[in-house]
Amino acid sequence: MASFDDLERLREEGLTRVREAAGGEALRALEREYLEKGGVVTSLLAEIPKLEPTARRDAGIGANRLKGEIEGALAARREELLEAELAREAGGAFDATLPAAPSQRGSLHPITQVTREVEEIFTAMGYRVLDGPEVELDFYNFQALNIPADHPAREHQDTFWCDEEQNLVLRTQTSPVQIRAMETLEPPFRVIAPGRVFRNEACDATHEHTFHQVEGLVVGEDVNVGHLIGTLKGFLGEIFRRETDVRLRPGFFPFVEPGFEVDVRCPFCESGCRVCSDTTWIEYCGCGMVHPHVLRAGGIDPERWSGFAFGMGLDRLVMMRHRIDDIRHFMGGDLRFLTQF
Amino acid sequence: MLLSYRWLERHIDLTGTDAEEVARLLTLHTAEVEGVERVLPHLDDVVVGFVVERQKHPDADKLSLCRVDVGTGENLSIVCGAPNVDAGQKVAVARVGTVLPGDFKIKKSKIRGQESHGMICSVRELELGDEHDGIWVLAEDAEVGTPVSGAVGLLDWALEIDNKAITHRPDLWGHRGMARELAAILDRELHPLDLTLPETGGAAGAPVRIETEGCTRYVALEVGNVRTGGSPPWLRHLLLSVGQRPIELTVDVSNFVMLDLGQPNHLFDRARVGGEGIVVRDARAGESLTTLDGMERKLETADMLICSGDEPVALAGVMGGEASMVADETTALLLEVASFHAATVRRTSARLGLRTDASARFEKSLDPNLPIQAAAHLVRTLAAIQPDIELPSPPTDAGPWTDPSVELELRPERLRKLLGAPIEDTEIARMLGKLDFVVVPGDPLRVRVPSFRATKDVSIEEDLIEEVGRLYGLTRIAEAELTAAVRPVPRDARRDAVRAIQDRLAGGARFHEVLTYSFLPEELCTEVGAESETCVEVVNPVSEGWQRVRRSVVPSLLGLLQRNLRNTDDVRLFEVGKGYLPEHTDERGQPREVHEVGMVWAAPAPGKRARFDADRLSELKGVVEELLAEFTATFTWSAASDERPRWSHPGRRLVASSPGRDGTQQELAFLSGLDPRIARSLGVAADVAVARLSIDALLALPDRGSRYTSLPKFPGVKIDVALAVPEERRAAELVHAIERAGKGLVADVELFDLYRGEQVGEGRKSLAYHVLLQSETKTLSDKDGQKFLARIEQEAEKLGGELRKE
Repeated sequence: MASFDDLERLREEGLTRVREAAGGEALRALEREYLEKGGVVTSLLAEIPKLEPTARRDAGIGANRLKGEIEGALAARREELLEAELAREAGGAFDATLPAAPSQRGSLHPITQVTREVEEIFTAMGYRVLDGPEVELDFYNFQALNIPADHPAREHQDTFWCDEEQNLVLRTQTSPVQIRAMETLEPPFRVIAPGRVFRNEACDATHEHTFHQVEGLVVGEDVNVGHLIGTLKGFLGEIFRRETDVRLRPGFFPFVEPGFEVDVRCPFCESGCRVCSDTTWIEYCGCGMVHPHVLRAGGIDPERWSGFAFGMGLDRLVMMRHRIDDIRHFMGGDLRFLTQF
Repeated sequence: MLLSYRWLERHIDLTGTDAEEVARLLTLHTAEVEGVERVLPHLDDVVVGFVVERQKHPDADKLSLCRVDVGTGENLSIVCGAPNVDAGQKVAVARVGTVLPGDFKIKKSKIRGQESHGMICSVRELELGDEHDGIWVLAEDAEVGTPVSGAVGLLDWALEIDNKAITHRPDLWGHRGMARELAAILDRELHPLDLTLPETGGAAGAPVRIETEGCTRYVALEVGNVRTGGSPPWLRHLLLSVGQRPIELTVDVSNFVMLDLGQPNHLFDRARVGGEGIVVRDARAGESLTTLDGMERKLETADMLICSGDEPVALAGVMGGEASMVADETTALLLEVASFHAATVRRTSARLGLRTDASARFEKSLDPNLPIQAAAHLVRTLAAIQPDIELPSPPTDAGPWTDPSVELELRPERLRKLLGAPIEDTEIARMLGKLDFVVVPGDPLRVRVPSFRATKDVSIEEDLIEEVGRLYGLTRIAEAELTAAVRPVPRDARRDAVRAIQDRLAGGARFHEVLTYSFLPEELCTEVGAESETCVEVVNPVSEGWQRVRRSVVPSLLGLLQRNLRNTDDVRLFEVGKGYLPEHTDERGQPREVHEVGMVWAAPAPGKRARFDADRLSELKGVVEELLAEFTATFTWSAASDERPRWSHPGRRLVASSPGRDGTQQELAFLSGLDPRIARSLGVAADVAVARLSIDALLALPDRGSRYTSLPKFPGVKIDVALAVPEERRAAELVHAIERAGKGLVADVELFDLYRGEQVGEGRKSLAYHVLLQSETKTLSDKDGQKFLARIEQEAEKLGGELRKE
C-alpha cells in the first residue's frame, strides 16, 4: 500500500512507466493501475479523510497534483504514440494495393440506366413517357402506321406472328405507341415510348431478335422539319455529353412523309475511326413528319395539326457508350457482365 | 442493288464527279449507298502483253513457249497450254507476284524443264466468264504494259444501294431511274434514249389471253433471225460490273434491259412456246412447273402462270420454265414484257422462297407504261448487235391497264411551313420538273405526277413536299426549337412504381437486374414443369422450340441460376417484365398483358446453427416486405392455394395481399421456395427462393397515405419473453397473444430466437421475443412489466403452451 511519504517516488515511477509505455494497451493498463477505482492514486485520495486534519491539506494537494501529472503524462504519451503510428504509415507501412472489401450493392441493367437517362432528358423537355404492349395487334404495328397487308415494307421487318391470321404480332417497333398515344391524348402533346421490340433474325454479335427502342412523337400546330432537327440535336448533345452534329438524309418509313434517316457525327473521333467506318457519321435513327394517313388513323386532323416522330435503338447507344462488342450480353443474364454497370 | 458508275455514264454526263461523290449525292438526296467498290480490282494487276514469239515446247506437244513483251523492255518467257495462243496477239498477262481470284498467286515455275515467268490468262481465270477453251485475246489496240482493266474498259466502280431505302421507288430499280435522280441533283440533262419500237412486219402476232386479275398488261413480241452466242465486251463488262454473270447474248440483253430500265422481261424460245397462243392464268391446285433452275415447283391457286395454250411455261413475275428457255439452237424468240400485280408476285415468291431480280422489281408496283418501252429497248439493243434480226409482226399488247399518273395540288406555303425552309415557288417548280413532274404555276401549284412515280410512291401533297425537301437538301434546313406552354408533365404511376422497385432491389437488397427473352424455350419450359400452361405462341419461331411467349418472367430467371452459380455462390437476380395470358383475350384479340417483377435468390443452404431466419425464403420475404411497404401499410401474408406453378415448393409458398381501391383483394406478391425436384432438373443445388410481384396489383391499391406516427413522449419498457408452444401454433398467433397481453401498450414485437429441442420437448417449439411496451400518457414502471408477464403467462396457456422462465 502506497503512502503519502512515497509521493515523490510514486511520481517518478509512475511518470517513467507512462513515458516508456509501448502502446495503447499498456497505457490503458497504467490508467487502470493508477487512476481508476482501487488504483494507486485513487486509493491515496480515499485515504485523505482518515488523516489527521492538519495533514489533510498537504496530502490533498500532493495527491491531486500526482493525479494531474499522471493524467497529463498519459495524454501526452497517447499523442506521441499516435504521431509515431501516423509517421510509420506515412512512411509506407500502409499497403494501398490490398484488396477492398467487396461492394455491397446490386445493379441496374445498362439498358435500364440509359432508358432512364433518355426519359429524364425528354421529360425535362415536356414529354410524357408512355408504355405499350409487346404482343401487339397488327392494326397498331402495321395498318394504322400506313403499312397495309401487302406492303413490301413488311418484308423487311422480319415479323414474329402470333397467329396464322396475322392479327397479332410481337411488335417490330415502338411505333405502335404513336397510334395509342393519338387515341388517348389531345394535341398538342409530346411523348416518348421506350420498350422492347422483336425481329425474327438470327443472333450474332451485332444482331438480336429482341432489342430496345425509344419512340418519340410530337404533335402540334406548325411543327416542322427544323423542329425535328433541333430536337434530335438537343437530345443527342445531352446523351453523348458533347455538342453533336446531325445530318438528315432521305429515308423510307411508311408512317412518315417526308421520312429521314439521321446520321450522328461520330462521338469518338474527328476524322474517321472503326466505329464510324471512317465516315465520321454513324447512322443513328429513323424519323420524319407524321404521315397524314397516320394522323387520321389516330383521329387527328392533318390540316390543323402536324407532327414529327422518331425511333432509335437503345442497345446501340449503350454499346457505343461502353464500347460493348457483343449485343448478346444484354439478354444473356450473366452476372459477370451485369455487375460491371 | 448494285449500280455501275460507267453504266450511269451511258445516261448522264458525270464529268467532275467520281464514284464516291455520286455515292455521297445519292445518299444525301435519294437513297443510301452502303458502299463503293472497284469492280474486278484484280484486273489492275494484270497487264496487256504482246506475244512476240511462240514456239512449241521442246518436251511437251500441247504446250507453247512464248516470249511476251509486257512493256518493261525485257520479254518474259511464259509457258502456255492454250491451243489458241499465237505470235502477234495482245493477251492478258499475270506476272510473278500477281494474285488472281481464288487467292491464286503467280510464281516463277519450271514446266517440263522450261522456266515460266507468269501466266497468259483465260477469261475464266479472270472471272470474266465461263470460257476456258483458250486464252483471252484482247483487241489489237490495247496498249502493251497497261493494266487490262483500263485497256478493255473495265475500270469501273459498283455502288451498293440499300434495298430497304428504295422499296417505295420502283423507278429506282434500274440505272436510268438513278441517272434521272442524278440529273436532278446535279442539274444536268439526261442523255436521250429512244424507247419507240422499230417498224415491224404485218404478220399476225402470238395471241394473248389474260384470265387473271394479277396481270394488267402483257406485251408479246416475236423476234426472228436471232443467233445465240456470246455478248460483245461492252455488254459483258456492264453485267460483270453489277455482279451478273454474262451467259448468252439474248439472255444478257434481257438482263441488261431489266437492269437499265428496271422492267423485268422474259424470253421464250419461239419454237417451243406460243403456237396455240399465250394464256395468263391462275395456277390450278396440284399443278407444278419445273423452273429454269431445274427445280420442280408445286403450285397453289394463288400463283400465276404463263401458259403456252394450256401448258405452263413460266411462273409469272418470278421465273421462267425450263422447257421453254432459250437454247443454243434457238433462232426465234417470243419476248414477254408484262405488268403483274405486286402482291401476287410477292406472295408466290415468299411462299416458294424464290427471290429473283424479277420478283424483287414486280413487288414494288412497276409503271404499266414500261412494258412497251422495255420491249423497244430490248429490240433496239439486240439490233445494235445483230442488225439483221427480224420483227415479223407487231407486238400483241393485252390487258386492262390504265395510266396511273395523277395530278396533285401543292400549296407552296404549306410546303415551306412543313419543311421549315424558305423555298421559292419557282425553285419548287424547277426541282420537280427535273424529276419529270409537270408543274402548272399558281397557288396551289398543279403538279402532274409521272406514271413511274404514281404507282405507289407519290399520291398526296406530302409526297411532293418530300421530293422538294430532299432535292433542296435536308442538310440546308435550319434547326429550330419547339416552344410550348410550360406545364407539369403528368407523372406516370407505373413508371414511378417500377423505378422505386428497381432502386430498392439494386440498392440495399443487392439484387442485379437482368433482361431475358420474352420467349420460353421448350427445354426450359420442361425443366420448370410449365409444359401444361397455355401460352401465346409465335407461328414462326426464331428457332425450333422457341414458340412460347412467356406468361411470367420467373421461369426465365430460374433458367439463369445454374450458369451464374458456376461463378458465384450468391445469386440475386430480378427482372421487371411482361407476361401474356391467352385465356384472357380481349374482343380485339389481344391477350392480357401482366406486368410483374420476378426475383430469384440462390445461395448455399444455411448451416444447422444458423438463425431461424437465415434461409433464402425468410430473407427474400424481408426484401418483398420492404418493397410492399413502399405501396401499402396493410398487406397480410397467407398460405398460397394449391393451384400454383409447378416450380413452387408445395410446402413453402405464400401470398401477400391487400384490398385494392375497388375493395377487391389484390394478390400483391407470391413467394415460394423452389420445388427440390425442379431444382434438380435445373441442375441447381443451392437454397433458392423465388418471388413475383404484380405491378398491376400494386397500382390498384389505394394511396399509401401518411407514414408518420408521432414519436413516443415517455420511455418504454423492454421485456424479453420466450413462449414454448405446440408445433402447430403459428407465429402470428403468438404475436396476437402478446398484443392481447399488452392491452394496447405493445409498441413493437421482434422474434429473435426459434428453438426446438430437449429443453421444450418433442412436438413443441420455443419462440423468444423482444417486446417493447410503451404508453402515450405515462412512464411505465416495473409493475406494468410484471402485469404484462402475468397476462402473457395466461395467454400462453390458452395456446397450449407456457411462458418459459430462466
